[in-house]
Amino acid sequence: MLASNGVSGPLGRALLLVGIVGAVFGALAAISSARSQDQKIVRLIPRFALLSFVAAVSAFATMEYAMITRDFSLEYVQKVGSTSTPPLYNFAAVWSALEGSILLWVLVLSGYTLAIVFWLGKRLDDLLSRWAMAVMFIVEAFFFLLSFGPASPFKAGAAGVFDGPGPNPLLQNHVLVMFHPPLLYLGYVGMTVPFAFAIAALVTGRLGEGWLLATRRWTLFAWGFLTVGIVLGGWWSYEVLGWSGVWAWDPVENASLLPWITATAYIHSVLVQERRGMLRVWNLSLLVSTFSLTILGTFLTRSGVLNSVHSFSESNIGPWLLTFFAIVVIVSIGLIGWRGDRLRSPGSIDSAFSREGAFLANNVLFSLFAFVVLLGTVFPLIVEALQDRNIVVGAPFFDRMTMPIGIALLTVMAIAPVLPWRKASGELLRDRLFWPAWCGIGTLAVCVAIGASGLAPLLAFGLGGFAIGSALRQVILATRRQGWRGLVGRTNGGMIVHVGVILIAVSLAASNSYTRSQELDLAVGTAANFGGHTFELVKYVEQIDARRSAVSALIKIDGGQAYAPAITKYTNLGINVGTPSVKTGIFEDLYLTLEPPVLKDSGKARIKVFIKPLVLWLWIGGGLMAMGTVLAAFPGRRRRPTAPTSAMLPVGDNDNEEAVGV
Amino acid sequence: MMITKSKVKQPTVWVVMLIIVGLLLAVGASRDGGPRTQQERVDAISKRLACPTCQGESVYVSRASASVSLREEIARQVGSGTRSDDQIVAYVEQRFGGQVLLVPRSSGLDALVWALPVAALICALVGLISAFRRWKVSATAEISDAERELVQKALDDF
Amino acid sequence: MSQRRGARMIAMATLVVMVGLLLVLVNASPNPSENADSPLLGQPAPAIETTTLDNKQFNLARRKGSWVVLNFFNSTCVPCRNEHPLLLEFAATEALATDKAELYTVINDDSDEAVAAYFQTFGGDWPKLRDQNGSIAISFGIAKVPETWIIDPNGYVRLRIAGQLSDGLLEEQLSALRSSFG
Repeated sequence: MLASNGVSGPLGRALLLVGIVGAVFGALAAISSARSQDQKIVRLIPRFALLSFVAAVSAFATMEYAMITRDFSLEYVQKVGSTSTPPLYNFAAVWSALEGSILLWVLVLSGYTLAIVFWLGKRLDDLLSRWAMAVMFIVEAFFFLLSFGPASPFKAGAAGVFDGPGPNPLLQNHVLVMFHPPLLYLGYVGMTVPFAFAIAALVTGRLGEGWLLATRRWTLFAWGFLTVGIVLGGWWSYEVLGWSGVWAWDPVENASLLPWITATAYIHSVLVQERRGMLRVWNLSLLVSTFSLTILGTFLTRSGVLNSVHSFSESNIGPWLLTFFAIVVIVSIGLIGWRGDRLRSPGSIDSAFSREGAFLANNVLFSLFAFVVLLGTVFPLIVEALQDRNIVVGAPFFDRMTMPIGIALLTVMAIAPVLPWRKASGELLRDRLFWPAWCGIGTLAVCVAIGASGLAPLLAFGLGGFAIGSALRQVILATRRQGWRGLVGRTNGGMIVHVGVILIAVSLAASNSYTRSQELDLAVGTAANFGGHTFELVKYVEQIDARRSAVSALIKIDGGQAYAPAITKYTNLGINVGTPSVKTGIFEDLYLTLEPPVLKDSGKARIKVFIKPLVLWLWIGGGLMAMGTVLAAFPGRRRRPTAPTSAMLPVGDNDNEEAVGV
Repeated sequence: MMITKSKVKQPTVWVVMLIIVGLLLAVGASRDGGPRTQQERVDAISKRLACPTCQGESVYVSRASASVSLREEIARQVGSGTRSDDQIVAYVEQRFGGQVLLVPRSSGLDALVWALPVAALICALVGLISAFRRWKVSATAEISDAERELVQKALDDF
Repeated sequence: MSQRRGARMIAMATLVVMVGLLLVLVNASPNPSENADSPLLGQPAPAIETTTLDNKQFNLARRKGSWVVLNFFNSTCVPCRNEHPLLLEFAATEALATDKAELYTVINDDSDEAVAAYFQTFGGDWPKLRDQNGSIAISFGIAKVPETWIIDPNGYVRLRIAGQLSDGLLEEQLSALRSSFG
């Protein structure tokens, strides 16, 4: 390998410094041009955005170069680099620990800032856009500062080190490690954009609906990637970790889920503001919460106060993040309080049984969901602060609390799509919900017929069928009326996303309630039975290389294809990692793990078999959610003729009517 | 949007549908899920315990060696059939301390984690109900005499 | 309740909750303290019946009347190896004492051969106890090695030292316990 040249460290730090300068001056330019309306300063904004983006890309490239050339003069490469890591995992090793992940955040955020500048184009003339750019630059400057200072990946390491341990073996197992963090960050960091526009709207007092419409696709884009990132995390947990589950309510998982919850509430609730100018405070609060939760989540998982399977090492980044979180929250609450008078809505909700009422109930349910997850995650800290004792709040708490919320959400998903605006009569509801309700009853009957048991899963299945009926009813009506255009647009794309969510909910209900497991002792030649399948040990296979030695047991399922669960020993770390092998089916997955002790010469193997129902539907649901998001991003039936930025708010203004479906 | 006055969609049909749902749920909910295998019992118990070295993961999820040996111990106790699930959990708690319990106790400060969400739900419902009531009231606004006079005056001037 | 007052109450409540949350988070320490606590302290020691590496029987109940020191050990664990010289010193000192404490190593998640080889190279002739299935470790609530436990002549657990021993710590603690033991 190339000898360490000692250039990467100082070069990287210099580039980050350039980035800080770009972001800080960009913020100053944006703020001063907003206050003074100076045209010359405005032209500086895109240039500073470009400068900080180029700095971020170069700094990231420098880090990757150092990693690829195994430049062990850097402390970070000493921590996560290794001469024996394959190139792919080595590239991904950059974001496998704290400092590199902050650098990735900087890269994504500077990319978003530049993209927003380009997208705004001439609209940078508007006051609101300049304030939004200012906020983006300020956040960018903060993260550049973090990466330059307390979380610097370019720190020089101890001298005379020529190899490292490489990333955690769990991160060298599956190619997903290349995709999951960047995709998740595209979502996570992307939530800065709607937040910036919300703050800009508050500062300028322009609280009409224009800015919401303008940023709709950005929010959807970020939300979509966050969704995909979370689902991929679940897939990785299933395929790699070997405990056969997809979600463990681990603090890092919760940290990514919390902003998703509030963002989902927002993309629904914003429809009410667009249509009727109501729920303004809700929407601003949800946007502020989403962004604050991304910062809080980063604090909880990076500062070391809570440990988890994702545990990043401790560093002194905690106080910085906490201070930033406090500033964001205080400034946002202050701004909302200051502009309170302009936020009062001109209308009111006439009836609980209306689309507005449903979205309000939706907001409340999602807020409750976020509250429960946040409470469970920080409760150990509260107990530690008050009674100086360590407790753990684990999956049983979250499962028990979120189950009723899930049922309630399925119910709302079933009824809300058919609700009209303003008021629904009983007759209308009975008419529109008739066939969806029979879908639900049919689903329930089928499930009971094939032997399902348990009140909670049956409720989930029945309501799931009902909700899919409602969603498909909307899509079918739209395609009947408009042909293929009935599949695109906000409402129709949204219905497809709903179908995806329902499939996920049903899958989770099934696998939580009906998973069966058994430990089997196999010997070559004799087959064991479980759950209607036979398992036969064929032989052991060993794979040894410089980095690891893997022993896998070839197991034939039902006399057909062989599956190979394995135990891999990573030689320079002394850690054993179990790798499961999964036979995927439409109705159930057969999940095999190899249990220690592994006696490869004995012709015997102990395996654990999990029969997990409907897991495939989870991934199908995730795919549908992604597809639906793309469809929802297309323009609807009629393009909006109004200018994208908002006018000053007159009372009772109901501009920006949009007829989207019925 | 035309509402077809179909006989099928009358309220009585919905009552029947509700009864059908109730019956199906009753049949399914009262059904026994079938006997648990020993492994499933071990899984259920290990989901209630936290891995002592991992700080946060359950013994079911964790792949750490302490968890592996704990799972083996639980499997041994389940296999011997002498202890119930709760007794096995208590056995582990007696040795490793309270921090190994994944389900917070329902006494003392820990109970807050169960109580607060319920309290939040109640607050939310109260808020929603009072908001809806307020909107209903404002929807039927009273017009004062002074306002009537104002309107009359404007009409006369027109 | 007027809308204004309701809104103000919600804002106040949110602010209070936020401040509370911030206080909790500021207070949160990233280093959970090493708890040498155990629910077993002051309780009768869990039963141990096993064999030693010399294939002799061992029963903890039979050791009543003497102080017993159990050291949970694994030959690949770095702090265990670091503290080994201290244990050798302790064993040597105790050999000369009148009321000598008995030192036993409990093998944790390791093979007999590896442990025997280690003691062959580095010394230490006290009995090493096998822990089939890790049940001894579990009954004591051992999560990580090394751990050192002191059991008094009546069979009660008196002390748990989690982590690597420091110089003189074991002797100091034992003599304190001895003097308070009546």
